[in-house]
Amino acid sequence: MRAVEPDETGFVRGTYWERFGDGDTTVLFVPAWAIVHARVWKMQVAYFARHFRVVVFDPRGNGRSERPQDPAAYSEHEYAADLAAVMDASETDRAVVVSLSMGAQRALLFADAYPERVLGMAFIAPSLQLAPGHSERAHYEKRFGEQLDTDEGWAKMNAHYWRRDYRSFIEFFFENVFTEPHSTKQIEDTVGWGLESDAETLIATALGPGLDEAATREITDRLCCPVLVIHGEDDRIRPVEVGEALAAATGGEFMRMPAVGHCPQARKPVAVNLALREFVDKAATGTRREEAVHGYS
Amino acid sequence: MSARKRVLYISSPIGLGHARRDVAIARELRNLVDGVEIDWLAQDPVTRVLEREGEHVHPASRWLANESRHFESESAEHDLHCFQAWRRMDEILIANFMVFHDVVREERYDLWVGDEAWELDYYLHENPGEKRAHYAWLTDFVGWLPMEEGGSHEAFLTADYNAEMVEHIAAHPEVRDRALFVGNPDDIVPDRLGPELPLIRDWTESHFDFAGYVSGFDPEELSDTERLRTELGYRPDEQVCLVTVGGSGVGKHLLRKVIAAFPEAKQQVSNLRMIVVAGPRIDPATLPQADGLEVCPYVHDLYRHLAACDLAVVQGGLTTAMELTANRRPFLYFPLKHHFEQNLHVRHRLERYGAGRCMSFEESEPPDIAAAIGEEIGREVDYRPVETDGAARAAERLAEMLA
Repeated sequence: MRAVEPDETGFVRGTYWERFGDGDTTVLFVPAWAIVHARVWKMQVAYFARHFRVVVFDPRGNGRSERPQDPAAYSEHEYAADLAAVMDASETDRAVVVSLSMGAQRALLFADAYPERVLGMAFIAPSLQLAPGHSERAHYEKRFGEQLDTDEGWAKMNAHYWRRDYRSFIEFFFENVFTEPHSTKQIEDTVGWGLESDAETLIATALGPGLDEAATREITDRLCCPVLVIHGEDDRIRPVEVGEALAAATGGEFMRMPAVGHCPQARKPVAVNLALREFVDKAATGTRREEAVHGYS
Repeated sequence: MSARKRVLYISSPIGLGHARRDVAIARELRNLVDGVEIDWLAQDPVTRVLEREGEHVHPASRWLANESRHFESESAEHDLHCFQAWRRMDEILIANFMVFHDVVREERYDLWVGDEAWELDYYLHENPGEKRAHYAWLTDFVGWLPMEEGGSHEAFLTADYNAEMVEHIAAHPEVRDRALFVGNPDDIVPDRLGPELPLIRDWTESHFDFAGYVSGFDPEELSDTERLRTELGYRPDEQVCLVTVGGSGVGKHLLRKVIAAFPEAKQQVSNLRMIVVAGPRIDPATLPQADGLEVCPYVHDLYRHLAACDLAVVQGGLTTAMELTANRRPFLYFPLKHHFEQNLHVRHRLERYGAGRCMSFEESEPPDIAAAIGEEIGREVDYRPVETDGAARAAERLAEMLA
């Protein structure tokens, strides 16, 4: 059973969205790579919906959103347009935008296009070209479409391998996402969400154009809202240096989490929830904190 | 003069057993600590017990996501894979921990008590910096155990969860100021926490104090069975069989099966009076009727009825079975399929007391149940005695932190 059911759901630009709660301030949780969907925020939604208005959506390619097969449909600009469409459809003028991993790219594009609609940006384990990636993964990512003579390690990050054994790639990926011991439940959840998509769709998402370093830095130079970056030191998907570089580029706060992997919001939800809560309270000018905290009385 | 001591009590809502014993402990605590204020962060069905007892339910309780409903949603016909249901409750547990956190961020308490309040214990160990009061943990079992049918994967998972618990407590012994086991060392199963982990008994003995069994009733009040039966309207010439499945809605299939056994049982036991207690989460109107059969909703002082009956038919939950054991009543119990606590921990304890007849829901048809009713009803029992000072002993340990 879910901890809380949505108060409103909708479908726009092929994207399924949900709204929870009615607070003055909206927190928009942006999805990551379409290897997961909005349920990746399941440890946040009930808590934030008690204090704020929460909007989440499934990325095109997974969950209840559509699965176009053209890689162009998965460009970060398309995702940013989805984000704007979800804001409009849910009647959200402005929001604190919280993103995970690849969600950082679409969140930045959105904030750049509509700075007046963003109260603040929190990035969890951002996936951006601001620092070198892990070398083995980077090596194989360049050979994504090639036939390889190995399936070992990050050689699994390969279109042909996904077509041969999609499930094994998904399992490999999430075992690397959750580097913390005792993460069986988080791995089961995410593998299950990964299997809601399929090899061809995920290949299309992987070929969708993203933001290079220059484009990213242009945006971060212009960004003027409050920023919080949370990154695990033991992140095997995107190194902690990426988060550090984003915080430096935006002048944002940086929360470094020792012994934590790529999904701190799932594996260390209390610490992440409390940090996000404090950030949202600060970013949401006009919202009296006392009102929110005493919401239960 | 020091300020009044304040306690925040979190009682597990999975079943009604915790509520009753926690109310008994709270009552004893008030005898020991003058003026102590106790707030309860609790949800249905625990709140029903608390409200009837005049206890103060914290208003933030209404924000709690309902764990009992989750367990009902996970159950099939007399079947509840309790370990997996608990794992799948992760988002409810974090939601409820955050409610707790909001409360204690705003209000000072001197002591937090968690009776199988899993979210509290787990997230305090994950975030020891969030501890800002004394904290006591209560439980009546230690160790997730795999069911045989779960195979090696379930054995791996339960051992992994147990390992995390062992590591949590080793890394942060300061989190639990008191850890109280509701029972005695001999109640503990002979298993290990996992292949590379200690024996559950050894580990529990070195990390817990033992309160003995905590009963929710006053034994003096129940000692005169004749008087009790008169008060409850049970005639001397009738044999009363009470059928009850606790506080959740999971037991409705057992109720139906026992109701189906009623006509045949009545033939065998001519003075049989069968009373079916639906409980707070099952609508009695949804149960079949039979001539001479009594079906009633929730009964507040069910323990008094259990103490006076000639036979009880129950699930395998610990509290009801132990109340029957303490009151020396014969009973049939049907552990829920795939429920490791009922099939392993509780069964082990009842066997130690020599109490109850364990029956399989799947393998018992109405004629089997009718025959067992005929054999067991009114039987003299020779159970091992159950101590009656558990609540007082538990309260003493809690009071030490409020001195």
